[in-house]
Amino acid sequence: MSENPQTQINAGQPKKEKKRNFLSQKYHNLDFQKKNAIAGYLFISPFIIGFLVFMFLPILESLRMVFSEVTMDLENNRYDMVFNGLSNFYYVFQTDPEFNRLLTEELFRMLLSVPAILVFSFFVAMIINQKFKGRSFVRSVFFLPVILSAGVMLGLETNNMLLGEMRSYVQQNNAMTNTITNVLEEILISGGAMDEFLYYVIQVVNEIYGIALTSGMQIIIFLSGLQTISPSMYEASKIEGATAWESFWKITFPMISSLILVNLIYSIIDYFLRSDNTVMEKVTSEIAKMDYGLSSAMAWAYFIIVIIIVGISAGIISRRVYYYE
Amino acid sequence: MKAGLRQTRSVWGNIFVYLMLALFGAFFAFPLVFAINHAFKPLNELFLFPPRLFVQQPTMSNFQDLFAIMSRSRITFSRYIFNTVFITAAGTFGHILIASMGAYVVSKYRFPGSRTFFKLVIITLLFSPHVLAIPRFLVMNQLKWIDTYLAVIIPAFAMPIGFFLLKQFMDTVPMTLIEAAKIDGAKEFSIFWRIVMPTVKPAWLTVMVFSVLNLWSAQATNFIFSEELKTLPYALSQIIGGGVQRAGVGGAVTLFIMIVPLIVFISAQSNIIETMASSGIKE
Repeated sequence: MSENPQTQINAGQPKKEKKRNFLSQKYHNLDFQKKNAIAGYLFISPFIIGFLVFMFLPILESLRMVFSEVTMDLENNRYDMVFNGLSNFYYVFQTDPEFNRLLTEELFRMLLSVPAILVFSFFVAMIINQKFKGRSFVRSVFFLPVILSAGVMLGLETNNMLLGEMRSYVQQNNAMTNTITNVLEEILISGGAMDEFLYYVIQVVNEIYGIALTSGMQIIIFLSGLQTISPSMYEASKIEGATAWESFWKITFPMISSLILVNLIYSIIDYFLRSDNTVMEKVTSEIAKMDYGLSSAMAWAYFIIVIIIVGISAGIISRRVYYYE
Repeated sequence: MKAGLRQTRSVWGNIFVYLMLALFGAFFAFPLVFAINHAFKPLNELFLFPPRLFVQQPTMSNFQDLFAIMSRSRITFSRYIFNTVFITAAGTFGHILIASMGAYVVSKYRFPGSRTFFKLVIITLLFSPHVLAIPRFLVMNQLKWIDTYLAVIIPAFAMPIGFFLLKQFMDTVPMTLIEAAKIDGAKEFSIFWRIVMPTVKPAWLTVMVFSVLNLWSAQATNFIFSEELKTLPYALSQIIGGGVQRAGVGGAVTLFIMIVPLIVFISAQSNIIETMASSGIKE
């Protein structure tokens, strides 16, 4: 570019002093840190406003409900709250017949399935990051569960007479949980290809299937992380004589470690919010009974326990995360 | 990834990769195969017991029925489609812009309160929409946004999950890139818009897919009551709710509503692959 005479002439001239109004002059005179802070607040303020109004206010409101007896006044679109201390919590933990059981079951299932989801999604992301024919098709296939599970299906399924019919067929025939693999199982049984061993296999597969269906987003996150690793790193390590195994542990793993943390938090949250989570079902059923104080107390109790789990596990992992500068 | 790098994989390695892909792919594709087959099944096959996975005599009658019902609806069906497309497009665009602006400064700037705010966002990720539905309704009521598009679009701007994902991705952008731009005299916003955003394109494409998915399936029955503002998933779920005789139509509807997020993802994901090679993260 320096050969271009035009640029040289421009570079030789003194820079024209721009006219500034009062405010921008004041801004210009600030030191670097203050400028940074002002720019920071300007950038983030739209998000903060939206966040405060649509997330934080409702959350505070629901926190107030926890300690209150809530009565609805549907005609005027409002409700009345009477403070009643911890009695909602007493009810939830001591009187409610199933809350404790559901809570421990769900927490246990979460502790088992989140590591499985992480390992599985990492493995799949590694595989589909390789070069092979039809790669984009395969990637789309692996994204299917995200689409299928994200409300689109769940919302429709409950209304869909057909799937409802199918479920009741399947449930009549064996009293297992109702997942879509049961339909497959039903097909196999009716085909006469069903013995003790196959039954066991199906049950194991049922679990894997559940894990696979919930790890779509995690695969995408890992995949986009793998894409950010510069190929020249692998080239350099190869020239230095590293094997593929070594470069996996010395390059891929540290570079992706921050996303392991992301996925851990994401998986726990995703698990927490899934509509087939029995604690959440319980909460929703209490909401349907218009018992907002009680349902808020349940949701908050569950939430506090989960936030402790997130805090501990994120604390452990974030110490090992490697940030590339 | 450059060609030649992974060429060393052996034949057995290839076989392993393809075997794994086939195995997992079958898992993942099963619901879609099921849904597609369902959409083309004639009524007598739908209620066949035991159920079959593959359709024996494919028919288009489910789709014909669906379009017939659509054309009979009180409000023209294109209105529902417009509502959902508008909500999805506006909500997604605003969300990406606002959330990535916020995520950028939280990740790269130091100013009082930024860390605390990020922690707050992570905590609120854990709140189920069910729990917040009632208080949120009251906020909307106060703002007089009930029964407008705003009630669906504006909260979508502030979805914490997108903010969280974007912030994590922006942490991986080297600070040297931003400093270099600053030294070259770029203004704050143009650093964000012309340097950082292209660099994290895979991140916001991921967030885009997520947001489209979320908004496209929004029934929004909590906030929208007038019929001409209602969304497509709501209208379709009404059609399915018509009883057993609508079972075939239900299959068609499921396929119909799945197809758009799928297309968005397929077009975005080829881009997710492309961008990294030219992004500038390369040292």
